[in-house]
Amino acid sequence: MMTGLWSMLAQGNLIKKCIGMAIFQTGIILFFISIGAKNDALIPILTEGANHTFDNPNIDKVTNPLTQILMLTAIVVGVATLGVGLALAQKVYQQHDSFDEDEILNNQTK
Amino acid sequence: MIKHLPIFIVLAPLLGAVLAALTSWYRPKLSFPIVLSGLFISCLSSFCLIFNILNSESGVIHYQLGGWGDKGEYGIVGIQITVDYLNGLILTAVTIISLLTAIFSSQSVNRELAGQQRYFFALFSLLVTGLLGITITGDIFNLYVFMEIAALSSYALIAYGKGRSYMASFNYLIMGTMGACLYLLGVGFVFVKTGTLNIENLSLLIPQTLQTSQTVFVGFVLIIVGAWAKMAFFPMHGWLPNAYTYAPTASGALLAPLATKVSVYAMIRIMITVYSIDYVLKSPNIQTAALLLSSIAILVGSFFSLTQTNLRKIACYFIVSEIGYMVGGAWLANDPGLKGAVYHIIADAAMTSALFMVIGCILFRTGQVELKKLDGLFYKMPITFIALVITMAALIGVPPTCGFFSKFYLIQGAAQAGTWHFVGALLISSLIKAVILFRIIEIGYNKVPNPAKEGNKTIPRDEAPISMLIPTLIVTLSLIALGIFTDTLITDFIAKALPEIPAP
Repeated sequence: MMTGLWSMLAQGNLIKKCIGMAIFQTGIILFFISIGAKNDALIPILTEGANHTFDNPNIDKVTNPLTQILMLTAIVVGVATLGVGLALAQKVYQQHDSFDEDEILNNQTK
Repeated sequence: MIKHLPIFIVLAPLLGAVLAALTSWYRPKLSFPIVLSGLFISCLSSFCLIFNILNSESGVIHYQLGGWGDKGEYGIVGIQITVDYLNGLILTAVTIISLLTAIFSSQSVNRELAGQQRYFFALFSLLVTGLLGITITGDIFNLYVFMEIAALSSYALIAYGKGRSYMASFNYLIMGTMGACLYLLGVGFVFVKTGTLNIENLSLLIPQTLQTSQTVFVGFVLIIVGAWAKMAFFPMHGWLPNAYTYAPTASGALLAPLATKVSVYAMIRIMITVYSIDYVLKSPNIQTAALLLSSIAILVGSFFSLTQTNLRKIACYFIVSEIGYMVGGAWLANDPGLKGAVYHIIADAAMTSALFMVIGCILFRTGQVELKKLDGLFYKMPITFIALVITMAALIGVPPTCGFFSKFYLIQGAAQAGTWHFVGALLISSLIKAVILFRIIEIGYNKVPNPAKEGNKTIPRDEAPISMLIPTLIVTLSLIALGIFTDTLITDFIAKALPEIPAP
């Protein structure tokens, strides 16, 4: 996560910033998934053989489905953001022929 | 029907956006009326809702999405919509301003973005959906999702400006995503400890049982810093001036007043409802830091606005300093401070909206808003110029306008808390705004000799088109109206919206 954050803020290259953003988001997704994980737990789907019923689920034997669902949403958001970010970076490249922040800044002030 | 009122507010602009994007394939002209009617429905339902709240005893309206309601010992399952005095008021402000901005923007969009109006209006409506969603939701993860809906559509709206707007929008994207990620991380920390995401459940759990928990505290700091990045608070304000200056007129007029204010609302909601004022007062280090930062934000915003020559950029730096007012007021964490902060959200939404609409009118007719090229503006566009002067007067805080009352409450709060640097920053920023007002009057009114007098060349009248002028005038007059009805607003809405605040 911190690698991603550093890359987002400190790198001068626009594509590296995008990569940093993706790393940061993936880190957060893993963090959430690890909250819901349990030892020896199965996927949260009720089946015949898993030793529990609908009314009385064996909670120790299933992972927490809520965090997984939340992260499904967060993945969608992350992909959308990354897409917009790369599209903008491409537009900037078409304008300035460069991905480097300093060069772009020089170009703009000329 | 009445029962489902809260969901209409969000659903109407969302459906409007989808329909506008779809119908545009064969009837491009339809998209604007569809979006407009969506916003109108949403505006109407927010009015009905606020009257319902006024009439109800508890002052709170709950709505369970999909009927996933209270499940006994597990608390509230599913996503809940909660409307009380605080967000009812902000909902109404957001819907009214977005409706007026939609009417305002139709002409300028036709000119600036010919051929792309349909996508623009679909995004416009989507942005309003996101903002309303942030305001109305009762679930902190849902708030993150709506935050990103609003943010993604605003990146696109800014990038419509061509030229330098791409880079500005990219910087905004990096900063905005960082803010949203930090917020999400904070939500994770809170979730680990509490196992719930519902604001109402959290407000019962955190102040009572988890006061001393380090995990919850880290979550608090992360959420607040994330919200600060979203609202362009001082150390993270770099993206705002460029993004709003190079955006198309219409996007600027919608984003500038609403996007930042709604994030401020989210911060206040987290502070006073989820964590309670008590919690804020017991973490004095952050309080001191936040107050210091907001004083610096006010000063930095004001001084940078003094160095700019472009009226739009000046307005953008005003936003940076106004954010300082609101964050500072909220972090004073006493009665007048919070009242001032909440009142200032409404007042500043109206003021910034008026300012950007006036700038839009000038841009529409003259094509630029460089200060030194505005000479003789009063004779050219008298109504617009008077609106500009009234708006600036409100920003300075001249008595009959709303700016005066919010500053009055903020200074009172700061004095009560003994935070004198905040008082100083508020007064200095008022002075600087007065300097800029007189500069504008000097250039627009005095620089050119009066054409009515004999012997001078007359400047042709060239007022903005009526569809732009009327929304501008409505917002400008509302500044004075808000000032006159301050008392009603404070006692009937804002005082009821705030929780009981422990005496110092």
